[in-house]
Amino acid sequence: MSFISAENVSFSYSEANKNVLDDFSLKIEKGEFVALLGHNGCGKSTVAKLLNAMLLPNDGVVYVEGMNTADEELTYDIRSNIGLVLQNPDNQLVASIIEEDVAFGPENLGIEPEEIRKRVDESLKAVGMYEYRTHAPHKLSGGQKQRVAIAGILAMRPSCIVFDEPTAMLDPSGREEVMSAIQSLKEQGITIVLITHYMNEAVLADRVIVMDGGKVLIEGTPREVFSEVPLLKRHSLDVPQATELAYRLIGAGVRFTKMPLNAEECVEFLEGVLK
Amino acid sequence: MSLIEVKNLSFTYGIGTPFEKKAVDDLSLSINEGEIIGLIGHTGSGKSTFVQTLNGLIKPTEGQVLLEGKDIWEKPKEIRKVRFKVGMVFQYPEYQLFDETVYKDISFGPANKGLSGDDLDKTVRRAARFVSLNDRLLDKSPFDLSGGEKRRAAIAGVIAMDPDVLVLDEPTAGLDPKGRDLLLSQIIGYHRERKNTIILVSHSMEDVARVADRIMVMNRGKLEMLDTPRAVFSRVEELERMGLRVPQITRVMTILREKGYDFSDGILTVGQAFDEVLSLLKKEGKL
Repeated sequence: MSFISAENVSFSYSEANKNVLDDFSLKIEKGEFVALLGHNGCGKSTVAKLLNAMLLPNDGVVYVEGMNTADEELTYDIRSNIGLVLQNPDNQLVASIIEEDVAFGPENLGIEPEEIRKRVDESLKAVGMYEYRTHAPHKLSGGQKQRVAIAGILAMRPSCIVFDEPTAMLDPSGREEVMSAIQSLKEQGITIVLITHYMNEAVLADRVIVMDGGKVLIEGTPREVFSEVPLLKRHSLDVPQATELAYRLIGAGVRFTKMPLNAEECVEFLEGVLK
Repeated sequence: MSLIEVKNLSFTYGIGTPFEKKAVDDLSLSINEGEIIGLIGHTGSGKSTFVQTLNGLIKPTEGQVLLEGKDIWEKPKEIRKVRFKVGMVFQYPEYQLFDETVYKDISFGPANKGLSGDDLDKTVRRAARFVSLNDRLLDKSPFDLSGGEKRRAAIAGVIAMDPDVLVLDEPTAGLDPKGRDLLLSQIIGYHRERKNTIILVSHSMEDVARVADRIMVMNRGKLEMLDTPRAVFSRVEELERMGLRVPQITRVMTILREKGYDFSDGILTVGQAFDEVLSLLKKEGKL
């Protein structure tokens, strides 16, 4: 069985509203980095909340490591397995000193003090914020705050972290900081689910899933998905500028080699064409 | 004529406390009537503090803000008038929606300004039209709208004040690509019709490259650049040192230009890049 598996899930926030998710299925393997794309209101954030039992499906089942999220006895285990990082860093920090903030989660899990100390240090090192451990969170930049929020989740040792638009409020360098922290977590074997509107971030994933109307519209490697430029545009989405340029040139008769996904690949593509 | 003139403006937070911090440092510039200015800068560069000095939400500790040639703090009791002229849309403005219906929410500002009856009705509907909220939505509760609609309703509330200067702080944050494009084209459409001055604060280099006549770059409270998007985004290294980036397409074309390909400096959109690559291919007989 897959690490996370959602089977024919339907969900609506109230009986009067139509289904946000409609016969939605999803499988995520352990250690995978999956990007979830889709326009506002397509059900992405609902999926995030279903994965850690904050919401329960009306129909269908969600399994996390074989545990049914609808089983209340397992809610605690599921939530300590699946961490959630949200958009606004200011809403996620609770303490007035960074290391205390990171310790908040493991303290609530009832972990021994020595172990907490160890986890806090490791987590802060993992996101490159160790040297700030005695600072106050309100003096950090957005990217730094978001990395502290990630450390707070890491200290609970989840096997998967779901990121719901973690960079939407950050400046360009803050976005890069958070994305490189996410990539290094993936290297440590943590399963990553990234919800984003930035196509440049989605290209870093192993697999991209595009949602529309509560269903999966298309999924595949970033290169497969972003080659479907017209389909994505029809569904309110975008492709990286590098991909769009190549796509338009291909339309004008330039010979297709490999669809570029980032600036470096696009330079390579154009050099090949202009050679 | 310059509509806004900022002279040696400084603002220091927490003077006399251990947290004293100069957020805006000796900033001078002038903004012309009818311009769209894009304002970019790293988090904490002083952007938000600066824009809040423009309508008197923050009083400068040194220097002046002149609106139509007059110091806005000349008569502090009349600062309210300045706020009618300089409208401010804060980040995530949808959190500020409060009234029972979208219509009432949009009319709150202009009603406070003294409008009533037909004039008020016309103003509200006009503002709603600028952001493409149709009449059907006006009678709904703002809390029943989708995220994108809420954002547009909140912006309509400020547009309804008919400000000469409209400041938008990150209006597209959190919107999906289509919502972002839609909102930006509505802002441009509104600007074309109303011909007012717009200041757009953004972390999206692609957005400011697309809409701004001039871009101002702030770093550590200082004004580092104020120039056309082309000129600003051709200074790739300086921007990167300030924690900023250029649009991806600009980066691609800059790398190729440095490798000796004959492309213009500071290409900002996929359309421009496409045209240049295509004409080079044709010139060299490769297509």
